[in-house]
Amino acid sequence: MDDKLITISGKIDGIRLDSRILEEQIQDAVAKGYRQLEVQAFGQHGIGGRLWRAGSDPVHVTVQGYSGQRLGSLGFPNTLIEVNGPVSDDVGWLNAGAQIVVRGNAGNGAVNAMSQGKVYIAGNIGSRGMTMTKQNPRFPAPELWVLGSVGDYFGEFMAGGVAVICGIHPQCPDNVLGYRPLVGMVGGKVFFRGPHKGFSQVDAKIAPITEEDWQWLTRNLEAFLRTIERPHLLESLIQPDAWQLLVARTPKEKAGRQRRPMASFHRDVWDKELGKGGLLGDLVSSDRGPIPLIPTGNLRRYAPVWENRKYKSPCEASCPTGIPVPERWRLIREGRVDEAVDLALTYTPFPASVCGYLCPNLCMQACTRQQAQMPAVDITRLGKASIDAKLPNLPEITGKSIAIIGAGPAGLSVAWQLRLKGHNVTVFDLAGSMGGKMASVIPETRIPKAIITAELERVQSVIPHVHLRQQLEKADIERFQEDYDFLVIAVGAQKPRMLPIPGKERALTALEFLKQSKAGDIRSGKQVVIIGAGNVGCDVATEAHRLGAESITLLDVQEPASFGKERKDAEAAGAVFRWPCVTREITADGVILSTGEKIPADRVVVSIGDAPDLEFLPGDILTERGYIQVNADYQTSVPTIFAIGDAVKPGLLTDAIGSGRKAALAILHTIDHQIPEADDRSVIELRRVSLEYFDPRITEFTDVDSCGSQCSSCGACRDCGICVAICPQVAIRRMEIIPDGYEYRVDADRCIGCGFCAGACPCGVWNLVENPLVE
Amino acid sequence: MPSNRPITPSTLSVRDLPWQIVWDKDKCTLCGQCTAICPVHALELGVFRKRTVALPLGIIGAPPENHTQLFYGIRQKTDPAFACVGCAMCTMVCPNGAISPHRSDDMDKLVFHRDRGGLPRSRGGRRNTPGTVLDQIKFIRISMLTDPALDAGRHEFEIRTLLGRVLPPEDNLKFIRQNGWIPPVREIYPLMIGGMSFGALSPNMWEGLQMGVVYLNEELGMPVRISTGEGGCPPRLLRSRFLKYVILQIASGYFGWDEIIHAIPDMKEDPCAIEIKYGQGAKPGDGGLLMWYKVNRLIAAIRGVPAGVSLPSPPTHQTQYSIEESVAKMIQSMSMAWGFRVPVYPKISGTSTAMAVLNNLTRNPYAGGLGIDGEDGGTGAAYNISMNHMGHPIASNIRDAYLGLVTAGMENEIPLIAGGGIGKSGNLAANAAALIMLGASGIQVGKYIMQATAGCVGAESDRCNICNIGQCPKGITSQDPRLYRRLDPELVAQRLVDVFLSFDMELRKIIAPLGRSTSLPIGMSDALGVSDYHIAERLKINYVV
Repeated sequence: MDDKLITISGKIDGIRLDSRILEEQIQDAVAKGYRQLEVQAFGQHGIGGRLWRAGSDPVHVTVQGYSGQRLGSLGFPNTLIEVNGPVSDDVGWLNAGAQIVVRGNAGNGAVNAMSQGKVYIAGNIGSRGMTMTKQNPRFPAPELWVLGSVGDYFGEFMAGGVAVICGIHPQCPDNVLGYRPLVGMVGGKVFFRGPHKGFSQVDAKIAPITEEDWQWLTRNLEAFLRTIERPHLLESLIQPDAWQLLVARTPKEKAGRQRRPMASFHRDVWDKELGKGGLLGDLVSSDRGPIPLIPTGNLRRYAPVWENRKYKSPCEASCPTGIPVPERWRLIREGRVDEAVDLALTYTPFPASVCGYLCPNLCMQACTRQQAQMPAVDITRLGKASIDAKLPNLPEITGKSIAIIGAGPAGLSVAWQLRLKGHNVTVFDLAGSMGGKMASVIPETRIPKAIITAELERVQSVIPHVHLRQQLEKADIERFQEDYDFLVIAVGAQKPRMLPIPGKERALTALEFLKQSKAGDIRSGKQVVIIGAGNVGCDVATEAHRLGAESITLLDVQEPASFGKERKDAEAAGAVFRWPCVTREITADGVILSTGEKIPADRVVVSIGDAPDLEFLPGDILTERGYIQVNADYQTSVPTIFAIGDAVKPGLLTDAIGSGRKAALAILHTIDHQIPEADDRSVIELRRVSLEYFDPRITEFTDVDSCGSQCSSCGACRDCGICVAICPQVAIRRMEIIPDGYEYRVDADRCIGCGFCAGACPCGVWNLVENPLVE
Repeated sequence: MPSNRPITPSTLSVRDLPWQIVWDKDKCTLCGQCTAICPVHALELGVFRKRTVALPLGIIGAPPENHTQLFYGIRQKTDPAFACVGCAMCTMVCPNGAISPHRSDDMDKLVFHRDRGGLPRSRGGRRNTPGTVLDQIKFIRISMLTDPALDAGRHEFEIRTLLGRVLPPEDNLKFIRQNGWIPPVREIYPLMIGGMSFGALSPNMWEGLQMGVVYLNEELGMPVRISTGEGGCPPRLLRSRFLKYVILQIASGYFGWDEIIHAIPDMKEDPCAIEIKYGQGAKPGDGGLLMWYKVNRLIAAIRGVPAGVSLPSPPTHQTQYSIEESVAKMIQSMSMAWGFRVPVYPKISGTSTAMAVLNNLTRNPYAGGLGIDGEDGGTGAAYNISMNHMGHPIASNIRDAYLGLVTAGMENEIPLIAGGGIGKSGNLAANAAALIMLGASGIQVGKYIMQATAGCVGAESDRCNICNIGQCPKGITSQDPRLYRRLDPELVAQRLVDVFLSFDMELRKIIAPLGRSTSLPIGMSDALGVSDYHIAERLKINYVV
């Protein structure tokens, strides 16, 4: 059957057959056993494809005339198609094994999606040739041989097969590969000969032609040339130097394809055009290079500072006397109990009487611990212990002489401070004993007599010149101004206020009552009415109860201002507090209120405060509303005269003692011609202190040691070392400072500014502050 | 909080804050990184006391015992001044994954207390509303062999737009004949980097963006342009060939303009264009203020002012109250400065009055375009009220402007440049393409660029948004070298390149199926569809479901 030949014409009776009819005739002929087919083509499409009915028999199709599109499409391996002339588009489309020989040019789309077979073109091909070609591993690779050149967009998405472009009489002599070849190429090889104008660098690359490649090329080239009947070209074509090979880049090569690295661009383009340092090199010299997120040293935004004693503790700040309370607890913690006790005498002559008994302890009211509902550190224990405090060494008296008028707490405080500094002080008082109201008025229920006596004796041992029962006149003051360098007026408030109402002469003042009761020469009544329900009124009530009163009523025009122990004691004595009550008249048997109500009384005490008695003052000492005018240093309008205590402003004992100390400091500064150093320390912010370290189940303190241990030492380092331990960077060290100090230091080169030290510090000593920018 | 702490009206619990720090005691290693990195000091080390009461089972007479242990941990501050901003830098630096901020699922109570001292809240970022109309627009016209079907990967694209006044050919001929001059036009990439000033941005960020732009131009052939924003331009850039990639902005503060003027004789190249800023989408009708602490020596030098003074840019140009004045004064004078070789165009906030501006520009051949910045634009600092409640959406604004030009027969003669929240949800190319098809010739982006090139963590869930306080945790908007040195200009440049290349590919993927490869589908609104009927009607695009 091999030689059984049939000629099929694409025209019958001068009428061109449809491609479908011609296809039917060709398939029919093959089915009938014809293996040599000669087709007279008149532009029919798809000639020679799909000839599977021949089984494994070779089928030879010769095409004469004009082939249409898709010659040999879906061709089978048994098929050989020879075209004696050019072919239209898409020759060998989806070719699955046919050999196609075209003795002329081919149009666009040659061998698109071919996967097996060979296609020989004895001319040029149009655009988009060899696109989407593949190689199935089960079969040999498809081949496209082009004698001339290929058109534009050659080999797009080429995935396999071999193309050989010989470059003989190319359509464009300067470019055998056409425009933009091999876009999307992923496999296969392209041998070409002749000039080109680039290919998809992304997808393809020039590869060396190996010996094996060359062998293959020359062997098959000979077959190609023979088949297309141009064997004479062989010699000129087998010049190895003239050939190049393009292969697909591997996926790895594609992934790693390099644009110019930015670093190189930065250096060689950017900086070259702009100058050294780039965009801003002319304006800044500082380093702008990258840094890590968590830097150390100057690059930290925040840095810790050890602010030991930079701020006042709330207790110290609230003590009018100015006693550095945390310092005393520090000494306690260090086992230096004596020093803690003795320290008080530097600040006050009455640490036991006042801190231990009579003071409402403003320090404790301010104690930070109360923020967490924990009891304040109990200063009264330390106060009471101060009865045994050792006197500081007294310097020789070498200094100035100062007269102090008034031997109450304020006067003795200023005298004490000045004497401790070696000045010659002389104290005058109207009364027959020292101590002022503290000694003569405050009931013994509030302080044991022995305590006050002992402290007054201690004062006397320090201040020898105390002149009692001195009724001073204006002339004395003027004389003192001549005789003494400074004068301090500390006369207190000794003039009780009285109500301007009928029957006022029937009442006693609180001052009279308390003085007499303390001296033991008064009887209380059975029914006592006290007008004025402040703390002094409460003292009166307590004393009246002690003296046998059966009913005690305290009246006030407003809600009583009394508080603390005085109030509690009065309430314990059964005193009744009534307000608002305005007294209209005091009668022989009671008090009549503005409402007309009569409260029976056989003893009426008026306790509405005392005013200073300033009759003796020279006129050049200015007063205001009955009190002496002073500046912040307790200096009066006469520069060498100071005034302190209740004569300036009514207050607590600690206020009086504090004013004495401050006036003494002012006098000392004046003597030394120093500008006083203002203590501008503010109070530490409470949030800086960590109370979590302390035991919340302690409800009261049993001894000074427990007080010391539970003191958070606000603002003053406890030397606990927690900061050293918590620092994640090991950046904090404790440094000994000769002779006996220490400090905690930060190694900036280790520190990251996390603020853990500030967060952990029990005392609030560490702070995290903005790190100054170093440019 | 101490048990006895006084409570104030602004005393809040962690639960009242918008962001809550979740911290895992078991994982925490107490390394201090989180407290060190937190830009707003929202975190601190806390000392905690843990009490347990121990007693045996059965009440058998043995006394219960109290045990107390101390431990340390990370505590979130509740003071509104230190409220967590959710930037999650703590999470980034934590070696153990022990800490992260979480957005409260409850309504933020801090919002009621952000007016301390009577000052309303200001912040950086964008409107705190996610999503935009642009995100809803789809491209419904896919060439199924109807138009030439293009392959975004295979075909050649030349995505370009024109900036400058494009006169009809007959007008151009007339101009040439009569004046010897036609308006300058630039062929540029349609995605432009919007104005972010030297000062609003850190030096490293600014340099990185400029470097990336030059790379795109000179290494990749993409004619990308960047606006300087209102803060002048570094002298070296003014005198380099790179100036041609730069759009110089002039705004109401006029900062740095004397330095620009002094540099004119030394310029090797003309700038790409001059942008006259009249408004900003993020804070329409409001000005800006570069706080004194950001005005360091460097910024001062570039802006031509002394260091350490606050620099106000008022809401308006002080001598101009109408577009007529603006055209007469600024557009013409700016054109004169470069011999009429440089396009000059105004940029305004999105507004219902945009058409009035556009109408005026159409009558003036010096007007090189109109930038409209919509309400979703970003900023380094603005009042919250301006950002969240002021402004006009860009979509209908640009559409109206384009259709107005169509009515006048002048479409594409005055390029419209759209800005404001483009790519807000990450859909940069889709948003840009939608705007182009609605009628924009070009697109300006700022915030997206910061997010994509420098890792800005700001979000529309009110995350971070602290550009205004100079503490940008990524170093994008800070003038503190300790922060901005976190940013490597080279890496910013590299990211910018990646962003533009990927944008380019995405844009191709949108316009290739439309059969466009070399001319932008400006105004090709038949390709747009939306499933919201009212949006479709308003924008005159297809309603599709």
